Amino acid sequence: MTNAKPKAEGKSDDDEAPDGGWGWVLVGALFVSTSLVFGLMRSLGIFFVEFVQYFEESAQAISWISSTGLAAQQFFSPLGTALCNAYDTRVVVMTGGCLAGLGFILASQATSLVHLYLTMGVISGLGWGLVFTPMVATVMAHFTRRRTLVLGVGFSSIGLSSFAFNPLFQLLVETYAWRGALLILGALSLNIVACGALIRPRRRSKAPAKVDSERRSSCAATLRRVSSYLELSLLVDRPYVVYTLAVTLLNVGYFVPYFHLVAHSRQAGFSEYQAAFVMSAAGATDILGRIVSGWFSDLGHFRLIHLLTVWTTLAGLFIMLLPVSSLSGSYAALMAISLLYGFCSGALTSLVFAVVPMIVGVERMMGALGLLQLIESSGGLLGTPLSGLLKDVTGNYTASFVVAGGFVVLGTLTMTTLPHYFSCKELPPPQRRSLGNKDKGLDPELEQMHRSPTDTSCRGVNEVCSNLKECEGDNWVTITCWKNAKDME
Amino acid sequence: MAASWKRLLFHILLLLVSCRHINTKTPGPTPPPLVPISSLPTDERSVSLKGESHTENVELLNPVNLALQCTWTGNQNKLPNITGFWRKDGDEVENSRVTVQLEGDEYELKRVFSIVSEESLGSYSCVFGSEAKIEFVLAAPQIGEVRDKPIVSYVGDSVVIACKMEETKPKPGSWNWYKANGTDKEQIFVVAEPLRYEIKNEERKTKLVVHNLTEADGGLYYCGAVYAISTTMGHVELKVISFQEPLKPFIAIVIEVIVLVAAILLYEKSQSKKNYTEGNGATDQMNTMTQGENNGPEGSSSTRQRKI
Repeated sequence: MTNAKPKAEGKSDDDEAPDGGWGWVLVGALFVSTSLVFGLMRSLGIFFVEFVQYFEESAQAISWISSTGLAAQQFFSPLGTALCNAYDTRVVVMTGGCLAGLGFILASQATSLVHLYLTMGVISGLGWGLVFTPMVATVMAHFTRRRTLVLGVGFSSIGLSSFAFNPLFQLLVETYAWRGALLILGALSLNIVACGALIRPRRRSKAPAKVDSERRSSCAATLRRVSSYLELSLLVDRPYVVYTLAVTLLNVGYFVPYFHLVAHSRQAGFSEYQAAFVMSAAGATDILGRIVSGWFSDLGHFRLIHLLTVWTTLAGLFIMLLPVSSLSGSYAALMAISLLYGFCSGALTSLVFAVVPMIVGVERMMGALGLLQLIESSGGLLGTPLSGLLKDVTGNYTASFVVAGGFVVLGTLTMTTLPHYFSCKELPPPQRRSLGNKDKGLDPELEQMHRSPTDTSCRGVNEVCSNLKECEGDNWVTITCWKNAKDME
Repeated sequence: MAASWKRLLFHILLLLVSCRHINTKTPGPTPPPLVPISSLPTDERSVSLKGESHTENVELLNPVNLALQCTWTGNQNKLPNITGFWRKDGDEVENSRVTVQLEGDEYELKRVFSIVSEESLGSYSCVFGSEAKIEFVLAAPQIGEVRDKPIVSYVGDSVVIACKMEETKPKPGSWNWYKANGTDKEQIFVVAEPLRYEIKNEERKTKLVVHNLTEADGGLYYCGAVYAISTTMGHVELKVISFQEPLKPFIAIVIEVIVLVAAILLYEKSQSKKNYTEGNGATDQMNTMTQGENNGPEGSSSTRQRKI
């Protein structure tokens, strides 16, 4: 068992991969593709100034472009993961990259605002949805011990790239005007295709199900197939539902500081530069928090869910403390709380995804992440207008921040109702329940990942292939060893 | 004989009279034609100087008779008399040199200027001896926010060039647009080319829309805020580039992506080929799977495959 584990971490798949390390290549791909999705999305503000002047529309109408893009990305996430379950992840991600690039290329020819909504919003958003969650799921499938760390490293790209993209986009707009700059951005987005090419084809265990059901091409069979790709069965899985609810509540409050901190600081009497600097400093600690929390979680001293609880509670507390510190008038206090908030919010981001395979198991992780993205987006959609409304009603941001922090803490409390929350040992994630013949051909990789150090049955038994027996649950199962992918055919 | 002499004398006399008449009519330095002083409103600006020099900005909208008054507290040696004169744009104003008396510990210079047109605007200075100088800069309201970076647009596209007068400054009567042609400016008239140009004027803002751009449309554009006294200019540079420009980096990046993807796929293919040949020839202590036993995942229900 321990022999094969390090291999499982570094190896990709059925094919022979270079000795260890292909997983790290995928982390690099995740880094680049995430920066081209979210880092790009965050830096689009530079174009908005140009759009306001060219199309003579209000800033609010223009800001709907990025809202549409983000909403499309989250909405199409389950579609992306379902397609990965049905077909090859590589093809899906490469298609997503092409769509994202196409969206921007078409946007460069836009003659009205609606064109921008459709191209930069819907088409690119669809592309991003097909890229982000599958890439995250793929990377997570390649790591067990260092999962949170690689997620942290991958997500830190968002903050780092938005630092790099802002001046770059400014330069592009000044040299080529917004049309040329969008065209070049489209080409840049095509690099996601190269990232997707790095994903080695996997034999999905769901593919045989497809072969199976094709014999009877009835409606019910198709529906059942589609629902299995979408992992809709998760919606009745209690731990998953609880977790999704918790993350949704978290999302309600999570984005509020990003939208309102600058305005709140200005209102509290600080200058424009001071307020902007607070935001940048929080962004920097955010990046740091992602990596540090990833590294720390993987040390294994604590359960991931406990660490997540700690970070979310702290983040919620700091959000609630933000208005208090700024109203006291001290810039140092505001800066300190913002730095701490940035750190905690980055720390929890790495963990939110990493906990999912613990709850649903690795095979269902792809679909689980897609559904999670879709459902948690409702939290974000609710949170920002709510905080705006509170501000309009009360006149300042204190109520917005306190309510936002409250929602985050509420999410934490929901998380504590997860089954086996209070046990100190990490429990083995659920195996996939067998549904006919489908699961017999489990990817051996995935088998490996189900193993956790605290498997209580057959403990202490260390079987290798030569004995032709393996421990699963409490039973000994005959195994056949093979060396080459070709042997499987 | 006497008659011809008389006639000659008469002619000479006539000549002398006409010559005198001509003499008195020789054009000497003529004073510039003045608008009748009574028709202009009057305004006054006065500055009191304590040091050596001072500059005062005066914003004028309409023609006015402007009285400029300079008061100087003097320096250490308070001379009882000092020479003072006025300058306009560096040149000394005619007949402005006077002797100033020290009155109540101060020297004072005052003069009224007729400011009627753009030529009358400029820098007026009162100079006390060679020590003190107060400068009045007379100008119409200037356009504050000037976009220093050029506006970039494409051939065949349309572009909006805007100029704005700040809220704190008085609003102009109207706006004009000019295009730089060599060293002069040519005014743009919409009626001449209604398909290409559009001017949208609001009180403080003006927009020039140029449709169907060509490379020749690039260059400096001036927006003029028209006031009664003069027109102040702001300039914006327009650069027109063809679509080939951004296409170059675009194609470069697309080629880079294609090369990368091809390299990755080829590498993977070569790797798997290598492993295939390796695997076929290898004889390990590891068990190799038998094809027959396992034809795909559906085959066995109690056997699992383990990759080594």
